[in-house]
Amino acid sequence: MPATQQTIASESTRPPISNGSAPLIHLDGVTKVFLTDEVETHALSGIHLDIRPGEYISIAGPSGCGKSTLLSILGLLDTPSGGSYSLKGGEVANLSFPERARIRNREIGFIFQSFNLIGDLTVYENVELPLTYRGMPASERKHFVTEALERVGMGHRSKHLPSQLSGGQQQRVAVARALAGKPAILLADEPTGNLDSRNGEAVMDLLKELHAAGATICMVTHDVRFAQHADRTVHLFDGRVIEDNRIAA
Amino acid sequence: MLNEIKVALRGLVKTPGFTAVAILTVALAIGANSAVFSLIDAVIVRPLPYHDPSRLVLLWEQFSAQGLDRIPVSAPEYLDFEKEFKSVDQIAVFDYTAFNLANGGTPERISGAVVSPALFSLLGAEPMSGRTFAREDQGVGHDDMIVISERLWNRRFNSDPFLLGKTLILNGRSYTVIGVMPKAFEFPIPLFNVQGGQFAERVDIWKPIAFPPEELKARYNRSYGVIGRLRPGTSVASAQAELKTIVANWMRLYPDNYSTAAGFGARVYPLHEQVVGGVRTGLIILLGAVGFVLLIACANLATMLLARASARERELAIRVALGAGPWRVLRQLLTESVILAVVGGAAGLLLSVWGLELLKRIGARTIPRLAEVNLDFSVVAVTTAVSLGTGILFGLIPALVSAKPELTEALKEGGRGSTAGTRRNRIRNSLVVAEIALALVLLVGAGLLMKSFVRLQNVDPGFNSSKVVTMELSLPLVKYPSPGASYLGGESTISFFTEAHRRIAELPGVQANACTSILPLSGTNSDSSFSIEGRAMKAGSPGPDEEIRTITPDYFRVLQTPLQRGRFFNDADTATSEEVVIINEALARKCWPGQDALGQRITFSDPRKPGVKWITIVGIVGNIRHRGLDLEPQPEYYIPHTQSPARSMILAVRSGQDPRELVSAIRREIQSMDPEQPVANIRTFDTVVADSVAPRRLSVLLLGLFAAVALLLAAVGTYGVISYLVVQRTHEIGVRMALGAQRSDVLRLVVGHALKLVGIGIATGVVLAIFSARALSALLYRVGAFDPVTFILVTGLLGAIALLASYIPALRATRADPMIALSRNT
Repeated sequence: MPATQQTIASESTRPPISNGSAPLIHLDGVTKVFLTDEVETHALSGIHLDIRPGEYISIAGPSGCGKSTLLSILGLLDTPSGGSYSLKGGEVANLSFPERARIRNREIGFIFQSFNLIGDLTVYENVELPLTYRGMPASERKHFVTEALERVGMGHRSKHLPSQLSGGQQQRVAVARALAGKPAILLADEPTGNLDSRNGEAVMDLLKELHAAGATICMVTHDVRFAQHADRTVHLFDGRVIEDNRIAA
Repeated sequence: MLNEIKVALRGLVKTPGFTAVAILTVALAIGANSAVFSLIDAVIVRPLPYHDPSRLVLLWEQFSAQGLDRIPVSAPEYLDFEKEFKSVDQIAVFDYTAFNLANGGTPERISGAVVSPALFSLLGAEPMSGRTFAREDQGVGHDDMIVISERLWNRRFNSDPFLLGKTLILNGRSYTVIGVMPKAFEFPIPLFNVQGGQFAERVDIWKPIAFPPEELKARYNRSYGVIGRLRPGTSVASAQAELKTIVANWMRLYPDNYSTAAGFGARVYPLHEQVVGGVRTGLIILLGAVGFVLLIACANLATMLLARASARERELAIRVALGAGPWRVLRQLLTESVILAVVGGAAGLLLSVWGLELLKRIGARTIPRLAEVNLDFSVVAVTTAVSLGTGILFGLIPALVSAKPELTEALKEGGRGSTAGTRRNRIRNSLVVAEIALALVLLVGAGLLMKSFVRLQNVDPGFNSSKVVTMELSLPLVKYPSPGASYLGGESTISFFTEAHRRIAELPGVQANACTSILPLSGTNSDSSFSIEGRAMKAGSPGPDEEIRTITPDYFRVLQTPLQRGRFFNDADTATSEEVVIINEALARKCWPGQDALGQRITFSDPRKPGVKWITIVGIVGNIRHRGLDLEPQPEYYIPHTQSPARSMILAVRSGQDPRELVSAIRREIQSMDPEQPVANIRTFDTVVADSVAPRRLSVLLLGLFAAVALLLAAVGTYGVISYLVVQRTHEIGVRMALGAQRSDVLRLVVGHALKLVGIGIATGVVLAIFSARALSALLYRVGAFDPVTFILVTGLLGAIALLASYIPALRATRADPMIALSRNT
């Protein structure tokens, strides 16, 4: 078991952090081993991590430290090789593909570095997509989509195609898509990686606003400035958590 | 250029799967096109293998009021034509005959022809050895010589160099062999749509004509074909006008033989048209079908090349970034497609060689001039041109799209879809739509023909052909003399067949056996006019002229044709007993509508003259489809062999088991009666029936084959496009999965895209098929050109196959790992 240094820097001044409540996500000894050409690569080695509702956590670390693998496991895009993963109190480490898809759709909102908007779909349709998979009626979807787009300030661009938007606007739409289904947690993978600093700041401000409104966010970033936006930073190195800092505002 | 070829070859070798599918696609299309083009070249385009064939015409007669078109000519009529018809500078007569050859060994019946000596010079045909007939070698007493074919010389006489001058015994008479015709010479050539004559077999013996004296008096006894060579500068129309004058003169001279009301006339037809006219439509439809196959294959090739170019977008961008101009990129891509087309074309030529060999085997009795079909220089030249054209034209589409890559996008790590990519997608989608549309047209055509064929197979022919074997027996005049007309035998002929029936009936397994002068669906026919008792012959009005057969008593028991009224013939119907006749229902309805035909009398002689021989109707039998399964039964009448002892008869034997097992025992019985009597053309009745629909079967087979190839290519095309789509959209699919899409959602997405393409393709195809199916109308039987069931079934089949082809890559897409998909920066 690797040594984990857990430092509580200071008491958060913001109410969403509720350390006393049951964790939304609980990872216990999660490992991930990739087998390539008979070579074992240990991407994650015994990760213990709790994320509570309302937390804004950033996962930082150098390239190849396992940040993205951890985020994939958290987002149920991948399964751990060992350990347990419970989401909202339920074990999700070894669910079937359809079950994982269903939970991903309802409980997790993704924000990708490269936005990953579907070029052939309008802004509205992109945001609507996860709700469609949920089988939500069109009228209800409209309400959710409009609300999400208004929340990120993109309501006036709903009929545009992604190619007609700037990078910052595209990421806003991606955030709206992640929010639309009211997931339990937003997972953001380098959300500013493809943006200039001005647009990057704007997106980070948006995440901050969402967090202030109660959203639970887990963000992977290697940019120290943006990592500081979160109220907790987990540092990974060689697949291990080497530092877990709760930052005061 | 060498460098480009080297690079292209290296690239193709590196992707053996792509290369193999591309070459096979081109090979299938080029193979089918070369084979059909060879066929059309040999059958329709190439002139007939005679001297100046464009001036050769056939002369037929007609009785249009009785529906008799292109019927043969009688001996006196021919002699009149020889004297009076000045539009031709040469004229000759011919007729099929059969020779029993018994020069030691097994007696054999050989197909032959009697011809006037002028025939060979008229055709410009020279013997390979010896000579052909001289002008004086004709007429009774001057016809004891023959010319034989190289085929017979080789097969039967082992190419004996000393055969010329030797004597052969044919039909019990001696004939001197005076010449051997070369292998390629064929005449009479198989003709189509000619009624009343047997014009199908390739002949091996030619004998000078000697009209029997009784034939020279009978203007009504028509059995000869007439061929002429138009004088230079004479048109068919002017020859036709001259014939009209000649016929008008006959009507004046022989009012008893010709009547205006019967619509008698004579017409000339270009020989080439007569030989190939019957298959022209079918071949043109086939050409259209293979043209479609070629288009589909080209679309496939272009689709595959587009996908390949997409995969190489980055490589091409690097090349351009390093200074390669658009022409250079274009040349590189074109080199690749031309190599594929040329190699595919060469493989296609090989396929067509095999295809033609196969076609020669299955189409021997169906397509005229099939022996002349070969892959000659013109076919190879056209194939090469088509292959190169295919390579350049369809390689050009992807090459043009890819020659100017969008560098900034393509070179960017994770560069997103460029406009070239969008353009390629649009072209690829359009090509798949086109493939599906064209395949649908072919499938509809094949479906309609297949349905026609099935309907035809289910037609009740009026007899049961199963477990019956048939064979031909022709008793020679010398051995079985006749008191009157030479085509009829006498007592010895009647005795021979009566005894043969008695002996065959005793063979184990035989249920019934009988003879007929004409077998249903065998391609031969005979008709004769008669008068009905109590009905006055009106001047100028034609009497009934219906199809006539001579049979022995058990004929209808062998055929299992039902007796409706009266009785069958029996042993009491002899040469000296009351003359009797059996008619079919169609004749009863036509000549005695609303009356009882049984007991009525007819005569072949003029009822106005004294001493009329009346023939009493003793039985009415069910109708038989004689001319073809697709043609309505005609009125027929049957006379007993004892009262009209034809010398050439077809023996039909019904057995309880496989009738072929009886053949050697039957042959033994016949030869124990006459050791020199051959038994010829042994076929089961089922084969006779099957042969009668052989042209339709061949059309169904070939169009079905081409439609299957089209379907396969369309499926491969759809599969390729959807596979590519899946690869291209892997990232998008990953995003969707990350957002919670289930496998079924992904499946719906991919199959939905395919469904859209298939739907547009099918809609376009249905419109095209509605227009093109009209061309098939002439080949259809009891099926409309717009048969909704066929359209629906074919659409369903194509849709299902295309969707299946898209389902496989769609399934693959659902198994994509979203993590891997998202990590791909496509």
